[in-house]
Amino acid sequence: MQSILLLILAMLLAPLYAALILKVKAFFGGKKGPPLLIHYSTLAKLCRKGSVYSTSTTWIFKMGPVVSLATAALALMFLPLAGQPALVAFKGDVIFVLYMLGLGRFFIIAAALDTASPFEGMGAAREAYFPIFCEATLFMTLVLFHLITGELRLESYLAGGQPLALWRAAGAPLILVVIALIIVLLAENARVPVDDPATHLELTMIHEVMVLDHSGPDFALIELGAFFKLFFYAGLVTRLFCPYTPDSAALGALLFFAALTLVYLFVGLIESFMARYRMDKVPQFVLTSFALAAFATVITLEFMP
Amino acid sequence: MRFFFLALLLIVAGGAAPLLCIRRPTAMRALAATAMAGGCLLGAFDAIFKLFAPVPVSISLAFLNEFSLSFKLDPLSAFFLTAVFTIGMLAALYSVHYLDAAARPARTAVHYFLFGLLLATMALVTVADNIIAFALCWELMSLASLGLVLYDYEQGRNRHAAYLYAVFSQVGAMCIVAAFALIHAHTGALGLDGAAGLPEKTKIWVFVLAFVGFGSKAGIFPVHIWLPHAHPAAPSHISALMSGVMLKIGLYGILRLYAVLDWHTPLAGRLVLIAGLVSGVLGVINALGQHDLKRLLAYSSMENVGIMLMGMGVGMIGVAAGKPIMAVLGFAGALWHVWNHAIFKSLLFMGAGMVLHHTGTRTMDRLGGLGKRMPITAGTFFVGALAICGVPPFNGFASEFFVYLAGFSGLALAKTDFVLSVFAIIALAMIGGLALATFSKAMGVIFLGEPRSPAAANAHEKGWCMLLPMLVLAAACVFTGVFPGVLLTMTLKATAALGLGYGRVPLEPFAELTVGIGRGALLLVAVVALLLGLRAWLYKGKIVTAAGTWGCGFARPTARMQYTGASYAASILSFFRAVAPLDEEHPAVRGRFPDRTYYLSHVQDLAERHLGHLVVRPVQRFFDRLRWVQHGDIHMYIGFILIAIVVALVFV
Repeated sequence: MQSILLLILAMLLAPLYAALILKVKAFFGGKKGPPLLIHYSTLAKLCRKGSVYSTSTTWIFKMGPVVSLATAALALMFLPLAGQPALVAFKGDVIFVLYMLGLGRFFIIAAALDTASPFEGMGAAREAYFPIFCEATLFMTLVLFHLITGELRLESYLAGGQPLALWRAAGAPLILVVIALIIVLLAENARVPVDDPATHLELTMIHEVMVLDHSGPDFALIELGAFFKLFFYAGLVTRLFCPYTPDSAALGALLFFAALTLVYLFVGLIESFMARYRMDKVPQFVLTSFALAAFATVITLEFMP
Repeated sequence: MRFFFLALLLIVAGGAAPLLCIRRPTAMRALAATAMAGGCLLGAFDAIFKLFAPVPVSISLAFLNEFSLSFKLDPLSAFFLTAVFTIGMLAALYSVHYLDAAARPARTAVHYFLFGLLLATMALVTVADNIIAFALCWELMSLASLGLVLYDYEQGRNRHAAYLYAVFSQVGAMCIVAAFALIHAHTGALGLDGAAGLPEKTKIWVFVLAFVGFGSKAGIFPVHIWLPHAHPAAPSHISALMSGVMLKIGLYGILRLYAVLDWHTPLAGRLVLIAGLVSGVLGVINALGQHDLKRLLAYSSMENVGIMLMGMGVGMIGVAAGKPIMAVLGFAGALWHVWNHAIFKSLLFMGAGMVLHHTGTRTMDRLGGLGKRMPITAGTFFVGALAICGVPPFNGFASEFFVYLAGFSGLALAKTDFVLSVFAIIALAMIGGLALATFSKAMGVIFLGEPRSPAAANAHEKGWCMLLPMLVLAAACVFTGVFPGVLLTMTLKATAALGLGYGRVPLEPFAELTVGIGRGALLLVAVVALLLGLRAWLYKGKIVTAAGTWGCGFARPTARMQYTGASYAASILSFFRAVAPLDEEHPAVRGRFPDRTYYLSHVQDLAERHLGHLVVRPVQRFFDRLRWVQHGDIHMYIGFILIAIVVALVFV
């Protein structure tokens, strides 16, 4: 019951948290920035409009937004929000979630290639390239977590008292894992320094340019899917860096959402202080996260009994 | 085994029938296809019954008055037989409309004869129980497939492909026969059962020789070199059969020999795992760089064979380390992937055949926009592409899931096995990402966007005999992905027959694992359906128009401005150029005015590149030294023959 409530709350608050990043960037730019509820009004505006479809596209273009939102929403269903048990869990569900996000990625890429636009092809090529290394990092992290807990479900890492158990078993190397996961968050959700969501140049975009041709309610579904995906990764990082789960569920939820705010603020800070890397430096950046995760595993192996 | 031999008889008779009625091309093809499909159906049903039979059936036939051929149908053979017969049936149906060139009836008749022979010999190899039977059927299988690859023998590159295939299959067969000879030298009998009693060192040799020999048929790096040449050269239903089934017969040989040798050291598992790692990663990177659709699919088969080997390797390591769960997960994952790959690779090759048949080209960068002109082909190819990337809710995910679980179980082991397990997991993850890039490229460049040539613009899809098998296979991908229990039961039966020493393998613990996947897949389908409803509601009463794609205000957009497959893969390939050397040719545009230029990229296969100077040249140098034997004097030749006869009679 609590899990369902938390899931609905998460889905409702995801656009609000994404607006936090915009506020932080505006603050560091000396501006007031858009209102915190900007994404809600954008989504409502988009749903009021119709769409223009390119004559080059097929049914795959229309399926792209639906599948990307479905996979992102389903990923949230597997996440133990605020330490409560997840809505769905089974052995190996982490692998299921990661590959399901891959399904969403395939559909977005196919929708982009469907438009016969060179810009979207460019974005699709990059979107197919960088997540290869993100997957390597995520699975390396899974290796570490499996070594410590012997389990392969998100619940065993993030629910209840498990994150605290992870910290007790692994110790300080888990900080490296948190940093690695933040790098993966930035890469998978098209944030600076991998991609600048505010750039106007299609040649330099990854995610934004792939969805260039979507309009109206389709684009609203895409945006919502992006918010959910960012919430999923941020929720993952939050549970790791703030592993406390008080007995009262309400207090736990409050703590979780407060810590989540910190994570989003940190992402906003990175976006304000860093410039985007040149495209061919991005693999090095993501492979750094792989190296960090591998290093954390090696250190943990040394000191585990 | 009556039904089995009856099925084989039907298949061979169906294949031979066209030789008698060459004058009526369509009737001949329909007759052959019906007979072969009927035989395959009978064989598949029989194999499924034998899969669940408690005791394997065997039979022994006399051969040449001196030897006996013995055959045994146990659950492991039955598992592979179901794949052989099912894909064979669909390929036979597909061939009716694919081979509709009425101008070559004689060639088509011979083709059907060899097709029937190939199906029959593949089935016989899986049930062969002694050395003579196995070697005989193996050689016949190689010869039959060689003839099938040579269907279009006018083109030089097809002859070159067949030549390469012949060389590699014969060298492989030599290695297999050498392995069998070692067994025979120690047991003195022709059966395979006594192999468990061999001394350790001999077992190593037998396994390695058999691994290389069977590996050349299966497409393991570095003896896979014939694969990307031969599979595109063959007609598409033969490519589907070869990629979907014949490669697995090679894997069957490795599995059978492992089971027979009863050699449970970690060395076997480590060898197989490393071979699988290398084949998987190199296969998918080379696949990404191809411009020819069928070559891309051939390299992708190599990648999937790598995944199967990784599963087998992890399983063997589990057996050696005494971890039954890990062993069963690994072998079950590998065997399940055999079936899954048979389904979706055949589907993809049939789609490629459809494209080739109606556009006349296999080059991806000359196609495009076929999704609108060939909607069923595009839809089924899309399902096949999603399945081969291993994404839920399709069937590819379940088998990779089992291999992952086996790899994660291996993390509890000691040093070398731990490191290898980590490598296996990370390699599988990267293979998944690279496969996604490869197949989004294939799908996007061929079926989406705008046509890049008149051939693609004028394409259509005709021929229900080609469309029906693709629809059946696509439905199978979805069904076995959402309800994995069916194939799981079959896989576990086959794993139990491997003789790992665990007796009956219980279904419940493994069924629990797949219940979760099935639930997740159903949930995904439900959420997608819900969102489709939401989308329909959001679009009610809204204005929807169509326009050309926004090209940033460019006044005259053309289809050539689209991203091509080469550009899509370029950055990934340049990252991995250490293992897949990339030759690029791109003359710079000089001067002030626009000028013509081109971009040419070619990924070199590492094995093929080094084959010339590492193997061919030393062998040629050695045989050049022996050139003095052939001096043209016929009297010396007769002398040589006399000496050989004397030596053979006296000493042998």
